[in-house]
Amino acid sequence: MQERVNEEDMVTPGEVLGKGTELKAGKGAYLSPHNNTVYASLTGRRSLLPPSPESPDQRPTVEVIGHKAHGPVPEPGCVVIARVTKVMARMASADIMCVGSKSVREKFSGIIRQQDVRATEIDKVDMHSSFRPGDIVKASVISLGDARAYYLSTAQNELGVVSAESMAGSTMIPISWTEMQCPLTGQIEPRKVAKVGA
Amino acid sequence: MAAKGGAAPATYSPSPTTHKKKRAPIFTDVDWVRPDGRDFHHCRPAFLRTGAVNAASGSAYAEFGNTKVIVSIFGPRESKKAMMYSDIGRLNCNVSYTTFATPIRGQALDNKDISAQLHKSLEGAIMLDTFPKTTVDVFALVLESGGCDLPVVISCASLALADAGIMMYDLVAAVSVSCLGKNLVIDPVSEEENYQDGSLMITCLPSRNEVTQLTITGEWSTPKIHEAMELCLDACSKLGKIMRSCLKESASTSQE
Repeated sequence: MQERVNEEDMVTPGEVLGKGTELKAGKGAYLSPHNNTVYASLTGRRSLLPPSPESPDQRPTVEVIGHKAHGPVPEPGCVVIARVTKVMARMASADIMCVGSKSVREKFSGIIRQQDVRATEIDKVDMHSSFRPGDIVKASVISLGDARAYYLSTAQNELGVVSAESMAGSTMIPISWTEMQCPLTGQIEPRKVAKVGA
Repeated sequence: MAAKGGAAPATYSPSPTTHKKKRAPIFTDVDWVRPDGRDFHHCRPAFLRTGAVNAASGSAYAEFGNTKVIVSIFGPRESKKAMMYSDIGRLNCNVSYTTFATPIRGQALDNKDISAQLHKSLEGAIMLDTFPKTTVDVFALVLESGGCDLPVVISCASLALADAGIMMYDLVAAVSVSCLGKNLVIDPVSEEENYQDGSLMITCLPSRNEVTQLTITGEWSTPKIHEAMELCLDACSKLGKIMRSCLKESASTSQE
């Protein structure tokens, strides 16, 4: 949308967007039950989404698109990019650096447990053959976890190590879903490799 | 403050106890003019700007006469490891005064109390369950304390939160009223605050007409409280409009 934003489209938190009988509250808006009104909860532009034709509820959804999204927060189900910091016998800790395609302002802690590394033969997983400290992995958040870290999982073909440095110091090339090779020395190192591309 | 028994509730007579600090009887004079020439029921003009601090997720600067406050918001970011798990977000408030904020140089003011009050007034307005397990840090710095500090900090903090994109039920506007003898003065300056007999501060959500915090100190009679509350709520709704127009202006300039 290249048209100039005029001030009437801008809403601020607490502004009335409409009645609950006419609108559904989407992202950035909420429905107040005691007077059945939809209010905005963010500062941004209001946009109206038409209802899907086959849904029984024919109310349009109102959303507020924030002009400045705060740094993203990992949520269950989203794909994150993390850097492995520690590898232990039954889990690996990683620092979450990007959520989806946006980088976070300050890192979040995540852990990948042994049973979440891959989908098959989960009890025979060797953590040191799947990750090494310093690897960049693509993982998905399975839950909020405990007070210390989010729980991450790489148990899909598209998830796993995306980029890793070999012991000689150069970026390795993936050769299979369990191995990566160093271009300088030719040494093959085991990793749980992510399937990138087509 | 020791209440003198036997005084009629509708009017107030200054009690001649000696432990009150000595002051000139300016408050008994009904024609007394405020130091900055305002009406008793007139607030100071407000200057509000968002986006003052680049490093923070959101920030705001507010100037109400001589009271200058800058608030920066960091978050939502990871809670400290020592904290227990919580499935709603946490709010951490910190108010500090610069050493040059008061006429007497040096930190003589109580910060933890003001930080706790800021926390109480903001937590009712933020949707904490939209950012579970994380913390939002609010850092308020009072650059110059010209009276009515806490209400200005609260209003500025809610503007900064809206600038940071934290989901809120509504903006928070705060106003305080001082009781000086028979008069009620709104938005007192520090000189008036020193001579006050009581103060009443309301923080409310202007568009939803809900109060998140009410603080009353000093001696008040019931009709005075009613009058003061009405004054405050009216001023809060006007302040809310000013805050909204400030947000909209900065949001539309940043979109171009």
